[in-house]
Amino acid sequence: MGARVMVAMSGGVDSSVAAALLCESGYEVVGVAMRLTPEAAHLPRRRATCCSHEDFEDARRVAERMNFPFYVVDLREDFAARVIGNFVSEYLAGRTPNPCVMCNREIKFDRLWQRARAIGADYVATGHYARILRGADGRFRLMRAADNSKDQSYFLFSLRQEELSRTIFPLGAMAKSEVRARARELGLANADKPESQEICFVPDGDYAGFVERAAGRGDVRGGAVVDSSGNTLARHAGIHHFTIGQRRGLGVAAGEPMYVRRIDSHNGTVVVGRRDELGAAGLIAREVSLVDWQCERGTPHRVDVKIRYRQTPVPAELSIGPDCRAQVRFLEGRPAVTPGQACVFYRDDEVVGGGFIERALEA
Amino acid sequence: MRVFLDHNAGTAVRPEAAAAISRVLSGGEGNPSSVHRAGQWARRTLENARAQVADLIDADAREIVFTSGGTESNNLAIEGVLRRAGSRRRVVTSAIEHSSILAPLMNLESRGFEIVRIRPDRDGRVSPCHVVETIDESTALVTLGLVNAEVGVIQNLDGIAARAADAGAVFHLDAAQAAGRVAIDVAALDCDLMTLSGHKIGAPAGIGALYIRDDCEIAPILLGGPQERGRRAGTQNLVGAAAFGAAAQAARIAMASERERVRGLSERLLSGLMTRIPGLRLNGPADGRLANTLNLTFPRVLGESMLIALDLEGVEVSMGSACAAGAVEPSHVLIAMGRSAAEARSSLRMSLGWNTTSEEIAAAIDIIPRVWRRVAAAEPAEIGEAV
Repeated sequence: MGARVMVAMSGGVDSSVAAALLCESGYEVVGVAMRLTPEAAHLPRRRATCCSHEDFEDARRVAERMNFPFYVVDLREDFAARVIGNFVSEYLAGRTPNPCVMCNREIKFDRLWQRARAIGADYVATGHYARILRGADGRFRLMRAADNSKDQSYFLFSLRQEELSRTIFPLGAMAKSEVRARARELGLANADKPESQEICFVPDGDYAGFVERAAGRGDVRGGAVVDSSGNTLARHAGIHHFTIGQRRGLGVAAGEPMYVRRIDSHNGTVVVGRRDELGAAGLIAREVSLVDWQCERGTPHRVDVKIRYRQTPVPAELSIGPDCRAQVRFLEGRPAVTPGQACVFYRDDEVVGGGFIERALEA
Repeated sequence: MRVFLDHNAGTAVRPEAAAAISRVLSGGEGNPSSVHRAGQWARRTLENARAQVADLIDADAREIVFTSGGTESNNLAIEGVLRRAGSRRRVVTSAIEHSSILAPLMNLESRGFEIVRIRPDRDGRVSPCHVVETIDESTALVTLGLVNAEVGVIQNLDGIAARAADAGAVFHLDAAQAAGRVAIDVAALDCDLMTLSGHKIGAPAGIGALYIRDDCEIAPILLGGPQERGRRAGTQNLVGAAAFGAAAQAARIAMASERERVRGLSERLLSGLMTRIPGLRLNGPADGRLANTLNLTFPRVLGESMLIALDLEGVEVSMGSACAAGAVEPSHVLIAMGRSAAEARSSLRMSLGWNTTSEEIAAAIDIIPRVWRRVAAAEPAEIGEAV
């Protein structure tokens, strides 16, 4: 029997195929589904999200078919404290969080890894589309997936040498169509299951409603919608209703389309402007971590940055500063910058690091 | 090596029960209610099994109603009594009962009945005085577990039966975990109803019984044919009943010797773990506990991690009860005994059975401390700390 690997299984096709591939490669696979949200059992059926009872059953069926042990682990408290809590406080601070990044950093590659060590596993595997390469120097590198359209390396930027050395991404070199084909070959019932899209703990997509229920009305303050010159155009019911670039729901009747440019949490003001006013010259990132890059502080380095998951990387100059902060200056164009989202640094296909966007640089 | 320490969830089928199953399966067709000779053979087989089950608790065979298991027996006891309770609206029970008692009582509560749940002391003992004081003339039913499945405490029932009889209340005992492990005499216990479960004593799951004292009348909940003297309709599970009867007989004959053997193994396991795991605590009383059941709070670990890690090393134990999704919930019994949620989450139940071997115990003493050290090193130390 090969090394023991704990596979995080959602019941979806990706993690199922990942587990099956590891079984075939001779690993001793232990399947684990994470119970993250308390409401899981009561969600409406057929929702494209993880964590529901049926998804656990799908994962269990895969385990039965491939004959490896499968368990459900309860990580609800950690998830509530570290992911949902962060999601709510970020929205209330006028930022747009990315809970999947937080879940990877705080749950899958932290709490779940502790759990893996507890059960004697040597590795944690997930169905992420990303690759880990080991260089001749023994150092690990985090690479984009071979299938660029499925690449999920953006969500994984916070992984460092310690995590990468004990992580396996079995799907990193595969295309989604291959994964589905393998699922059908393996007779996995979930081969054609739709992909999860929504944030798993907000299956109806109503983030503002979720934030209000979680935070309580007391923490929600209304404010003004103003234009770039400071003229008040409308009132709003709370900054958590807004994200950068948002066009709908502004309550503004202007001649031309208006978009959210900036959210000022200190006074609860939402600044809107025309599309051409949206862009920024760069950004400041916080909680910056580097995968394995010994770069000089203060010196600008040429990288490509991705500042939203569904966005083509843009060329930029990166300067690492103190306090785990970094400055990014775009070399081409003025993309819209959304505080709270991850900013991930690439060199070619390699993830060199990333951080969370603190604020945009206007000039 | 596989070490099975979850006999309270369901013990291995005894060879006597397996032989009885084979005999019935090869004996041919036959419905105990049929007139022809095949039916007569089936009826003889069934009644023989009924007598064997009755013997286990010193009851009369006529007082045994076969059911599909402990859950049905508990439901039949509760619902069957309450449907005939007239104006009586109170049910007295404890906070540490099995879910097949808790859930029907919650249902009654939503229908307007008053459910009084006596809390146990820190060792899981329900005070009989407290129960007696709670029974009044409006009480329809007193239902208590004779032995608790999770910590193994054997309840002292002094005075409860007499008070219940005095007040005109029906007295039900859930003996699913007790039967076959402690000697039971229904006349001495003086209960009206008693739940028995096949797979706790070495028959397969799917068969159980409710003892209904001859002078106690309850309403049937399954309606249909006149089987089981009109108290439980439906063609009897002949294979299950035969296995149950054979297992009951085997358990009764071997009870004293099995109990001493299991006590020795269990004490060895407990002292072996206590010396190797500093801070390990036993839940439940030192005496007045089923010898086979060890409920242990492990320091600085999550029971869920221990459970999985132990399973991967071949040691099968249990913790609380599984939710619908398969995750483990902290034990309501330990919470009712005054343990914190963290303590309950750090607790595991190990239960030995009729076929537990000395080799299994030796392996458990070797593996469990090793796994505990690994789990404690891997997960945050503050979890499971005593409060």
